[in-house]
Amino acid sequence: MRNGDDMTDPDRKQQAAAPSRSRSVVRAMLWATVPVLLVVQLLASAGVEASSFWSQIRQLDARIARTAESRAELIAEPLWKMRYDQVTSVLNEIMHDETIAAAAVYDDTGVAIARVVARPADQAVSEVSRPIRYSNGNIAVQAGRIAIAYSYATVYADTGGRLMLLLVVGLLATFATLIAMRISANIFIGRPLTAIMSAIQRSKQDGRAYPADIKSTNEFGQLARAFNAMQHTTSGALDRLGHMAAHDPLTGLPNRRSLSEHLVTLSGDAGSPDSLIAFCFIDLDDFKGINDTFGHDAGDKFLVHISERLGDAVEPQDWVARLGGDEFVVIRPEVSNEATAQAFARQLLDAISEPIRLHDKQVVPRASIGLAVRRAGDPELSHLPALADIALYHAKSKAPGTVAVLDEALQRDYRRRRDLELAIPTGFAEGQFEVWYQSQVDLESQAVVGLEALIRWRHPELGLIGPGEFLPLIERSGNNARLTRYVLTDACRALQRLASAGRSQIRIAINLPPSELADHSLAAELRATCARFSVAASSLELEITEGSLINNIASASETLHRLRRLGATIALDDFGTGYSSLAHLRRFPLDKVKIDKAFISEIPDSAEDKAIVGVIASLAGTLGLTLVAEGIERPEQADAMREMGVMLGQGYHYHRPQPLDAVLQWLEKQAVPTETSRVLADSPSIAPEFAA
Amino acid sequence: MTVVLRIMLAVGMACGFLMPVGGAVAADAGRLNIVFVNPGKTGEVYWDMVAQTMQAAGRKLDAHVEVLTSERNYRTMQELGFGVVARADKPDFLILSNEESAAVPILEAAEAAGVKTLLLSNPLIGDDAARLGPPRQKLKTWLGDITTDLQTAGARMANALISAARAEKWQSPDGKIHILGIGGDEITPASIARNAGLKLAVEAAPDVVVDRMLFANWTQSEAEQVTRNYLSWAARKEIRPAGIWAGNDPMALGALRAVVAAGLTPGRNIQLVGLNWSEDALREIKAGRLLMTDGGHFLLGGWSIVLLRDYADGCDFAAASPRVEAKTSAITRDNLAAVGDLIKTRAFDRIDFARFRARAGRCGQYDFSIDALISSLTLPEGAAD
Repeated sequence: MRNGDDMTDPDRKQQAAAPSRSRSVVRAMLWATVPVLLVVQLLASAGVEASSFWSQIRQLDARIARTAESRAELIAEPLWKMRYDQVTSVLNEIMHDETIAAAAVYDDTGVAIARVVARPADQAVSEVSRPIRYSNGNIAVQAGRIAIAYSYATVYADTGGRLMLLLVVGLLATFATLIAMRISANIFIGRPLTAIMSAIQRSKQDGRAYPADIKSTNEFGQLARAFNAMQHTTSGALDRLGHMAAHDPLTGLPNRRSLSEHLVTLSGDAGSPDSLIAFCFIDLDDFKGINDTFGHDAGDKFLVHISERLGDAVEPQDWVARLGGDEFVVIRPEVSNEATAQAFARQLLDAISEPIRLHDKQVVPRASIGLAVRRAGDPELSHLPALADIALYHAKSKAPGTVAVLDEALQRDYRRRRDLELAIPTGFAEGQFEVWYQSQVDLESQAVVGLEALIRWRHPELGLIGPGEFLPLIERSGNNARLTRYVLTDACRALQRLASAGRSQIRIAINLPPSELADHSLAAELRATCARFSVAASSLELEITEGSLINNIASASETLHRLRRLGATIALDDFGTGYSSLAHLRRFPLDKVKIDKAFISEIPDSAEDKAIVGVIASLAGTLGLTLVAEGIERPEQADAMREMGVMLGQGYHYHRPQPLDAVLQWLEKQAVPTETSRVLADSPSIAPEFAA
Repeated sequence: MTVVLRIMLAVGMACGFLMPVGGAVAADAGRLNIVFVNPGKTGEVYWDMVAQTMQAAGRKLDAHVEVLTSERNYRTMQELGFGVVARADKPDFLILSNEESAAVPILEAAEAAGVKTLLLSNPLIGDDAARLGPPRQKLKTWLGDITTDLQTAGARMANALISAARAEKWQSPDGKIHILGIGGDEITPASIARNAGLKLAVEAAPDVVVDRMLFANWTQSEAEQVTRNYLSWAARKEIRPAGIWAGNDPMALGALRAVVAAGLTPGRNIQLVGLNWSEDALREIKAGRLLMTDGGHFLLGGWSIVLLRDYADGCDFAAASPRVEAKTSAITRDNLAAVGDLIKTRAFDRIDFARFRARAGRCGQYDFSIDALISSLTLPEGAAD
């Protein structure tokens, strides 16, 4: 139905399509009827004329025969009485008949007594001959014979002439019919079609319903009325569709599609090219939690509340849209400067943050806002959502619940992230990812009991990059599994080397991202890799976070059980920062719990932290779990941990992460443990340290 | 006796007319007034000669003959007739010819006026004849007719041809004598009678056939043309033409020219006959190219005066029949010399008409034969010398 032409050039199409449509119908009608009419007319005429022709031929034959007989009667006496001049003159009389070419009278001896030739017999000539009988009272004799040669030329000529006339009349009649049909078809068919087509074309141009102006009561009139009714219905439906396409059905706010259109008109609507446009990209924090906690209906209600608040908080010239999920956009078309814009954004945050009652519970909504401010004349105005998104990303990742203003630094970060993400495949291919190891130490004996494998990216241009920066990019680009295998392989190789260095008692811990817990093939691969390097799976320790357990409890549990059956130990990482669910500690097959360094850093000064760690330690003891304290940087911390019953420790106080060779050398020196075995790694420290 | 004769002569002279010498008449009615309404044209040979013989007879028989010419217009003829009938001084006799039946009203007018009439040459025919019946019955003043017997003439002519052909053995390969007949027309009684004569003669001769009876409108040229056609046809039919019978002399002369043109020699290998006693015919007879010409019927004029003279004088021709039929006669090389001049010079005063009057006691019996004629002729004036 609709093609590019229709859309791009409706005018030309209207001019061309409507007449051609009507012409084709009319022409088809004419082609279907007029030749038939003409042929029938000509055939009928020819048939009538042929029959008339034969009738004329017969009539001519009969007439000439009669002529011969009557002349024979007239001639009999002068012939018998040898008045040959009279015979000739009687014969001459019949020559007035123009069909007669020649005539002759023969006497009873067969000699031509009289002969007249009217014209050379160049055409088809027929001849009739009759005896001439003479009788009087006394005798009855055959006095001779009359012969008349006559031509059908006049009949042919007459017939030809009439045929020509019939042809001309037939053609004229056909032509007249053609004209009449053409005119009537145009009036009764072409014109209504054109009217309807014209209405369709106009409707196509601006989407409004134009009625076809047809007054007649015939079928086309009925068609036009039906068409007009349909136009009316369709345009209403289109209006609703258009509104639906451009608006969010839940809140009634314009949607993402509207945003694209609105952005196009933004620069035009602005007073001057230098006026500033504030674009606020709002993302509700933890909306998923609301949905999970209160159900989706409540979530929807929540979103409606937010939209109403945003609507109340803005001025009439401002523009509010919901992009989907928990994302909203507010655009203020004119702000005096960036500070004003920021104040406006904060004002929005404040409006959002008013408590809402959901299921008789007070909920305090939280949101992050990415703010981008651009001049109206900026040619990259259409990139505003993307720019604001950069700021929002920053706010969400760095300071949820705040306003992040897009600045050069953020854009630089964004570009760096983007460049890194693009470089990930090359990083894998060229082996730019390195696995460093950090030791875990028995707090009592100070012996190294394990190493944690920590990933680093040695980028050829950007240098060494910490996992905190690139791991989210790895995850986002879907390379988690690949990286996990990479680390696993390296860890197994390290175990092999440790074993050959006589340190087979040292185990290596690797971090499993949440997505890996859902991968049922992980256990099999782990076993295969261990087998390849001839190391025991029991030498491996797998660190998981609470967050990865929550998202898929059943699947995670199964994977953990499998891994554990292989002999690997399972450690819960970063305990205390997230849910810190005691139920998790009980439900999952855990061997170790690693206390987040946040609780360690203030120890021994913070009594609260000490209390928390103490409770965790006593709980772990009860559950039979081994505790590991992360981030031990000072000897007091190590002492405090030891006092609280924490068995293992990890941190710069003991060992900074290093490549395996350095670790092996360091272990070599550790062969005779000394009191102060703290060796500073020669590699640069990366802070803050993320447990990778 | 001489004295008596002288006295008679003197009386006769005193009376102003000469009594016929041989005539025995019962009573002399004196000079007669006779009017003849001539149907013909001035210069028309036959009717001129009729009138001339009428007048010649009148001079011989003490009758004044007034000739009125209607110039071949029957209206004129009727007007003339009515005029005569209406005269105060009515004539004794009115002679009419019923050409185109135009004489009937005059007859009736004359009856009313009491003028005696005689029909010459053309009698009543058809309805008129049936209606009026014979003379002197319905119309008392209609005394009778005098006509010629043309059928006999036709037969005589045919017989002359047949005799000549038989004598010369001019039979065709089929053994028959082939004759061509040329009639004047097919409707006038004068023609019909002649043709009937031919037919009669031929029917009586089984060895003779008339190949064709052709009609030439009495004219020489047409006769020549049809004769030419006939001869040509006969040649193709391998017929030997033995004779040509022509209803009058001009047609015989026309046929003669065609015969000559066809390479035949008339009189030697073909014979022709005509009718009318015309001068040209007589010349051809003299030359031996024409076998005979029948005729003499112009003498009816003279004979009519003879009848009326006798009637007036008390010898009514109706004693025999009111219808007098005068025979025609043939002129051949044999009698040509006797009558040739008479006709050529029209010296009809040489005829002694008184000699033809009926004898006493034999009223109505006349001899109008050519022999009687010849014997009645006085010598021409030059011949006596």
